[in-house]
Amino acid sequence: MRSKRTVFENRRIQLVFWVVLALCYLLGIFFVGLGVKESAYGICFEDKFLAPSLRHPFGTDGLGRDMFFRCMKGLSTSMVIGILAAVVSSFLALVMGILSAVLGGFVDKFINWAVDLCMGLPHIVLLLLISFMMGKGMKGVTIAVALTHWPALTRLVRSEVLQIRSSLYVQTAYRMGKSPYQVAVTHMIPHVLPTYVIGLILLFPHAIMHEAAITFLGFGLPAEMPAIGVILSEAMNHIAAGKWWLALFPGLLLLTVVVLFDVIGDNLKKLWNPQSGNQ
Amino acid sequence: MKKRMVAIFLMATLVFSMTGCGRENADTEQKREVTAYVGNSIFEGSLDPVKGAMSYGYSFINNALLKVNPNAEYEGDLAESYTISEDALIYTFYLKKGITFSDGSDFNAEDVVFTYETVHNHQGNNENVDLTRLESVTALDDYTVEFQLKEPYSPFFDMTAMLQIVPSDAYQSDTFDTMPIGTGAWKVVQYDSNQQIILEPNENYFDKVPELSKVTLVYMDADAAFAAAGSGQLDIVMAGAGYAGETIEGMHLETFETMDVRNVSLPVREEQTITDREGKEIIVGNPVTSDKAVRQALTVGIDRAAIIEYGFQGVGAPAMSFTDNLVWANAQEVLDGQREQAAQILEEAGWVKENGDGIRKKNGTKCEFTIYAPSGDNDRYLLAMALAEDAANLGIQINVKTATWDEIVTLQNTCGVVWGWGQYSPTVLYSLFQSDLSFTGGYDNVVGYENPAVDDKISEALSSNSQESAIKAWEEVQQMADGDYPYLYLVNIEHCYFVKDGLNLSKETQIPHPHGHGSPIICNMKDWSWSKEK
Repeated sequence: MRSKRTVFENRRIQLVFWVVLALCYLLGIFFVGLGVKESAYGICFEDKFLAPSLRHPFGTDGLGRDMFFRCMKGLSTSMVIGILAAVVSSFLALVMGILSAVLGGFVDKFINWAVDLCMGLPHIVLLLLISFMMGKGMKGVTIAVALTHWPALTRLVRSEVLQIRSSLYVQTAYRMGKSPYQVAVTHMIPHVLPTYVIGLILLFPHAIMHEAAITFLGFGLPAEMPAIGVILSEAMNHIAAGKWWLALFPGLLLLTVVVLFDVIGDNLKKLWNPQSGNQ
Repeated sequence: MKKRMVAIFLMATLVFSMTGCGRENADTEQKREVTAYVGNSIFEGSLDPVKGAMSYGYSFINNALLKVNPNAEYEGDLAESYTISEDALIYTFYLKKGITFSDGSDFNAEDVVFTYETVHNHQGNNENVDLTRLESVTALDDYTVEFQLKEPYSPFFDMTAMLQIVPSDAYQSDTFDTMPIGTGAWKVVQYDSNQQIILEPNENYFDKVPELSKVTLVYMDADAAFAAAGSGQLDIVMAGAGYAGETIEGMHLETFETMDVRNVSLPVREEQTITDREGKEIIVGNPVTSDKAVRQALTVGIDRAAIIEYGFQGVGAPAMSFTDNLVWANAQEVLDGQREQAAQILEEAGWVKENGDGIRKKNGTKCEFTIYAPSGDNDRYLLAMALAEDAANLGIQINVKTATWDEIVTLQNTCGVVWGWGQYSPTVLYSLFQSDLSFTGGYDNVVGYENPAVDDKISEALSSNSQESAIKAWEEVQQMADGDYPYLYLVNIEHCYFVKDGLNLSKETQIPHPHGHGSPIICNMKDWSWSKEK
């Protein structure tokens, strides 16, 4: 009885519990979506516009396609784009943040200038421009999303590194003749890693939302690919005619995925960096 | 998304303000106003006839010399009668007398000369009315106008039905974009860009003055319009075929005959690289559709009725050619769904089923090609998907994709595209089949059709000195070209509208709708009325 209560009251275990739960859900969607065959959401004109039922939990659309499997497939596509984007963006951010802080001078100025430039433009406009320039479709979206999510994280990494750089042990390391490269690898990276990983995870929801947004606006994935943005923009045509399930379930699903990524990120932050609340 | 929200908000405020006035007198007296959503194409261009406005035959502010009647034939509008000289170079029009413009000035030959000369001198501003072959236009007296052509050109006759006359004294290029002065049944009293156009009857109109006292055409998104109709705020709502299965309380669905034929272009050339007019190398042609057997098998083998049922909720008529409501069409009886015959044609051409996937192959090439539907046009996308489903029965795999019109201009050279055609002028045949128009970058002859005999027939039709001989030549053009199956005709669409119960749209005076995304319903707006009993 007593031990059970401790487990329940232990914040650390609570946090881990939530993270694991969220992770299971997300991985579940991801792998179910990847495994869905095209025939699962194939056209079946006899079944068009069916309301949600046991056979079609999310209903069907105007071509009789099963919305549950279309959503799953679409979300996993979004997640793939999200992962690619987050990895590329966060890598860029890590490299540039450290370079900027360690080398200083011209490099620091240039990187700061680039960050300001990217953050000065409305994000969605930048996304549209890049996606359109790269020919839209999967390629355009991925490149656009991957190349536009680094500035905020770069700033974070840079300020973190600046803080460490002025600390005594780093100064000592320099005095002992270590090269900037050695300092970066042995002292900087391990220190900024928690911040970095959390930043990376918190990039996911942004990336996924942005992919859905530009797809919704018609500058992203093409209509023939199942994607939440496509599904939602198609649903716009039918909401007025009372086909509520076409928008509700995909929207909810997108929302839960985004919120869950946020939950994971926030909880990891508390676990790894408990002092962050005092900052 | 933001734009859409703003649009919905504006629409809501707009509709509230409109119903505010409409409701008050509804109980006390006979309703005489109509608020309609007929698509947004009227808002997208100028209303100035000199710049090509309303040239498809449903003008309501200005009149042309001729007009199209409900049988799709031309009859006099501002002109009483006309004669064409033996050599087809001189067209003489005798005008009706006693007609005045909405500003009170008289209509006479001077206005006709002014309008034609203005368009002729500024042809670049008007892509719909082609007067390049016009030599001169002269007023013989106040009510007689003579047109002299440079060379015989039979479609000039169509042009006189397309170009509406503006007053020579009052014409101003900038104000006529939104508030043209005309001889027609209606005049614009208020024009709010991308919001609404408010029309009132022109008391000076020479024919029957409209019974309605006010018509408001509103601009909105199709889905927003449908929602507004659901709450009783609109009297007419254009609806895509996708909505045909829906019901709205207090409204009923009406469908109208069109001459719009949805079809898929099938590139006829072998895949190859050619140099275009600007010296750029482009890839044209398609390895599968360049085989006539594939095109023919599709034409006879698909089941159009089923495609319409699935793609268009059953709204529309199967078509294998232009429709017989066009005087020059070579309409054909629809004989399709012949799967055995299609299979035989394909087998003889070497397309055989090898493995279990049901798709035919020839020398290792899969019988597979891509067709594009313009993005944003859900009806065409659904039609393409339904076609692809049906074509799979023949062992032909069609992949359906969407693209914007900007992208289609390039893609059309190698892939199929879902098109919609429908106009009174037979010049469409020229742009579809004339050899030297192929791959010129516009939407002309996108399949790369090349046939000297057809080219000769087209010149014969263009230079005919009578409508009869021109029509005969145009029919022969279609007979020859259709034998090569460059376009897969699918459906003669019908325009769908939800109409408030009690509103009579005078179906008998509607012309067969030309291509116009739903706007042509306004062609007989002057005959609309509310039924008396309430």
